[in-house]
Amino acid sequence: MWKNKKSGFTGGIHPTDGYDKAMTMNLPVREYWPETVTILTQQSFGGKCTLLVKPGDKVIKGSQIGKPEAFMAAPLHASVSGEVLDVKEIRQQNRMVLSCIIKNEGENRREAQKYETEMVSLEAYSKEVILAGIRDGGLTGMGGAGFPTHKKYETDKSIDSLLINGAECEPFLTCDYRLMLEQGYGILNGICLLLKASGARKAYLCIEDNKPEAISSLRRILEAAKQNGETEETKKLEIRELPAKYPQGGERQLIQAVLGREVPQGGLPADVGVIVSNVGTAKAAADMVLGGMPLIQRIVTVTGCVKEPGNYLVPLGTSAKELLALCGGVTVEKNRIIAGGPMTGPCVASDWTGEEELFYVTKNTCGILVLPDSRQEESPCMRCCGCENVCPAGLTPYAIDFAFREEDYDLCESLYASECIACGCCSYTCPAKRELSVSTRMARDMVKQRMRERAVQKA
Amino acid sequence: MSEARVINGPHIRAEKTTRAVMMDVAISLVPALLGAIYYFGIRALYLAGLSVAVCVLTEYIWQKLAKKPVTAGDFSAVVTGLLLVFNMPVTVPVWVLVAADVFSILLVKQMFGGLGNNFVNPALMGRLLVMVAWPQAVMEYVVPKTVSVDTVSAATVLGSVKGGNTPEYSYLQMFLGEMPGAMGETSKLLLLVGFGYLCYKGVVNAEAAFTYIATVTVLTFIFGPEGLFTGDILLNLFGGGLIMGGCYMLTDYVFVSRRGKLLYAAIAGVITAAIRIFSVYPEGICFGILTANCMAGMLSLLYKKHVYGIRKIKA
Repeated sequence: MWKNKKSGFTGGIHPTDGYDKAMTMNLPVREYWPETVTILTQQSFGGKCTLLVKPGDKVIKGSQIGKPEAFMAAPLHASVSGEVLDVKEIRQQNRMVLSCIIKNEGENRREAQKYETEMVSLEAYSKEVILAGIRDGGLTGMGGAGFPTHKKYETDKSIDSLLINGAECEPFLTCDYRLMLEQGYGILNGICLLLKASGARKAYLCIEDNKPEAISSLRRILEAAKQNGETEETKKLEIRELPAKYPQGGERQLIQAVLGREVPQGGLPADVGVIVSNVGTAKAAADMVLGGMPLIQRIVTVTGCVKEPGNYLVPLGTSAKELLALCGGVTVEKNRIIAGGPMTGPCVASDWTGEEELFYVTKNTCGILVLPDSRQEESPCMRCCGCENVCPAGLTPYAIDFAFREEDYDLCESLYASECIACGCCSYTCPAKRELSVSTRMARDMVKQRMRERAVQKA
Repeated sequence: MSEARVINGPHIRAEKTTRAVMMDVAISLVPALLGAIYYFGIRALYLAGLSVAVCVLTEYIWQKLAKKPVTAGDFSAVVTGLLLVFNMPVTVPVWVLVAADVFSILLVKQMFGGLGNNFVNPALMGRLLVMVAWPQAVMEYVVPKTVSVDTVSAATVLGSVKGGNTPEYSYLQMFLGEMPGAMGETSKLLLLVGFGYLCYKGVVNAEAAFTYIATVTVLTFIFGPEGLFTGDILLNLFGGGLIMGGCYMLTDYVFVSRRGKLLYAAIAGVITAAIRIFSVYPEGICFGILTANCMAGMLSLLYKKHVYGIRKIKA
């Protein structure tokens, strides 16, 4: 536990000793093509699209089937070729979402492209071309909230640094790690594209030191590329090794760790001249701009209490139930199925038997995790201030928790509940097993709502 | 909220629990308890057992009657019971000990909301009650069995020095615990062994304990009985309950985890030293720590924590 190197961001935890990642770390990504896919018109929260197809239509892989409707939305594409079987409302994580079910009838094999095996020249691609490419390809952030990538890069703020997030600090998940190992060229080409699109002077590919193989493999590729003729972009690119600590991959924490800057309250990374994108996003950018393939596939880590964990490259709309069955099913009866990582992912079902449908893979689904149900009773806070010490935002979660339970929202606001990043460190650490993260997050939403209401009243 | 609790993470938790932390503290007190039995006889063990039982039972009955969640099994009452008995001489009447236990748990701890909400350390408050209500019970100490087989009453080392005598025990004897005093306080060695265990487990704030002990030692050295820089460092360190107070009483989570903990420890040290130097009381630990306890909340307000992304406004 004693770390010699200090990580550059405030607070944070070391959630596990690495056994969790070891389950799938050395398993190469396998492709899986289901018979039908169910593509949701809302790929991320608030990212609503209008569906362009109706039942009976024939679609080909990569053709656009959804037009963005909301600010948070990006174009949507068919992830397989075949007939549209049905268009209906589907229950996904407790809300009804219009979805389109497509039968997979096409050819799924895809030859490795040039940009996946060597560094390619990007001279032919201007900033505008790249931006149009990632917009039309429906690129959204593949690590977290699924924010449309082109909106990040179309900022009018001046950007000096681009951070490519390969930290993958969430326990259990290994999809980014495998991608970095297997698709090094694709990622580096993608970073060069994003570098051009952002206009940044420097790009940092940030990887935690618990993934030494990924670091050395990418460094090797970069060195080789530099020897073969340095380009504008490779000159600006640097691979940065960071001491492992959760939540390193949080955008604000990564900025603090690498650049020592803090995103101001209520601001975006662009306000301090930074854009943060995930390695998966970089690879997908290369796919769509250099390979002409929109965002229709992603790697999902299926792990935890399943018979054969693994990393799978699947088309969007693949059923989680099918993937779990592919991995041999769950191995514990009292379980929790989590969409994503154990720290921030929502629990989509508990005591799941393998019968009912769970959810469908969207652009930002990093993993499907099965954990034994180990709910613990809350006990009184003994004011050990462990939560305060680990909070990356510098908050006092136990005090916010008390204020929120007392419905004292003024106090919540003065304790800066609005700055909670919902990383879950407080709940993780709490020896009294209090649900600090849940109440701090709810306090944050409440405080933010009150702030908005006040702003409206003023106006 | 219950639904949000199920849906939202984190879904993995650290292994550390309140119970485990409190159990560690209780375990760390075991060497000193064994020392007490060695020096003062088997009665020390009976008293400790009684004190623990009364504390846990009081907490249990109160929580049952008040229809609150029963947390009597979380070992915090065990720790209070042990600390309280460690502060008493082996000759303490049983009913005084029981009264102190009930007072500590019921009035000081539970009436203010239970674990984490107490405004002062319950065990110290229990000791204060005894000091005020039945002073003769805690003023009469006995010589350890290893020094004299008969029960001989004597003043504590610090007490007798305060009275103008020269100490009758060597520093080594004081360090090992071979001196008259409260049951658990006498053996500094065994207390430090337990404290080492707590440091190893990472459940105690060693900085604060060190600050407190250092403040008291330095101040009593500077303002010694025969003018500046004439204090007896080792006597002040080992002659009384300073190690016990600094390592176990001061470091109650409620007070020592907040911001401003070192200032809190230093203030407790200044008050303790002032009492040792100027007042009729030889120890001052009880008053020093209790006063600082009451100030801890206020002291933490002096330290503003930096919140990510919030710019400092220049006043």
